[in-house]
Amino acid sequence: MTDKRSKLKKIILDTKTLPTLPSVIHKLNSLSDNERSSVREMARIVSSDQVLSARILRLANSPSYGFHKVSTISNAMILLGVNVVKSLALSSSIFAIMEKESVGLWEHSLAVGVAANLIARKLGLQECEEIATAGLLHDIGKVIIALKCNEAEKSILNLVNERQMYCIEAEREIIDTDHAEIGGWLSKNWFLPDKLSEPIAFHHNVAQSVHHCLKTSVVHIADVIVKASGFGCSGDCFVPQIEDIAWNTLQLNEKMLAELVDEIEDKLIEVKNFSLEMMGD
Amino acid sequence: MQKIPLLLAREGMTLARDVFRGNASTGMPICGKGHELTTSLIERFDKLEVQAVYVEGHPVWEEGGASLDNLLCALDGRFIKTMHNPQNAMLHTIYKAYLIKSMGGDCDRQAE
Repeated sequence: MTDKRSKLKKIILDTKTLPTLPSVIHKLNSLSDNERSSVREMARIVSSDQVLSARILRLANSPSYGFHKVSTISNAMILLGVNVVKSLALSSSIFAIMEKESVGLWEHSLAVGVAANLIARKLGLQECEEIATAGLLHDIGKVIIALKCNEAEKSILNLVNERQMYCIEAEREIIDTDHAEIGGWLSKNWFLPDKLSEPIAFHHNVAQSVHHCLKTSVVHIADVIVKASGFGCSGDCFVPQIEDIAWNTLQLNEKMLAELVDEIEDKLIEVKNFSLEMMGD
Repeated sequence: MQKIPLLLAREGMTLARDVFRGNASTGMPICGKGHELTTSLIERFDKLEVQAVYVEGHPVWEEGGASLDNLLCALDGRFIKTMHNPQNAMLHTIYKAYLIKSMGGDCDRQAE
């Protein structure tokens, strides 16, 4: 790793300046590692932090998971799974920043969550909620760049505009790494399972996803479709190239892609609604 | 006809499709197509958790007033780096057809 990158990694992972992780997360982490702890016990710990609970429930009822109505943390744990609730808790402080500071990225992330969920359901995959969560979190590295390297972020966006390049190319040029790698560092640091950290780290290079290629492929295709729709803003306006490995892994074809576009576009109205409501709060 | 979030629905717009409770697309409609929206009707939809409605014409325009031509031009711009890839070209064709269909025959307002 180059000096620049290792220095940056140190800055980014310095927990003193990371968005604060509520103490309940540490308790939750140790509990979820223990197979004997019950969902009820974990739900009780999360529910003890009312602000955090409210944020988790709001996200659990966002269009990314909008197939259920979730009214309690226990329900969220049962319907969405402990991993999803834990990830939402971990990222809730980051989402708080995104909703207000970078609405375009927030809308893009929500939309990719929705699209990933729809693709996973259409293909009859397991763990749709976790795939949706990976979609929701896939660009979390961009929020961290904005938070921790504010000046670099400005240079990145300038470069994107001046040279009409992809955000990821500009990031590599300016900070010698990119949002996907940074998201990967962060998810490892948070002890997120591989099924979430791989799609975050490899959604721009699916071949590198060794254990969860299927989930990473879904997030990659979801990202491509949302970029194609022009919904939200993730830093640049260019549609990434569909990677052959993702296309083949999901065994997509023209008919399925057309159906997915229809279904995703239909659901994007709800995403817009949700985002407008959040901004109105 | 245009599908819009309920938050953007305004008095005076006319429903182009029946409205159903929640987000269902079947069942007993709570309001039939052809009805003109009123503030109280919009509030009632909100209470019944209606997320979006289909209205006549194309009353809601994004900032900058996008005509079909503008939308297609923006679409081409987004695909400019990847049209050489067959799957991307396929997605472009699908989106182009989608945009034409969604603006279908009611492009009654051109870019201002």
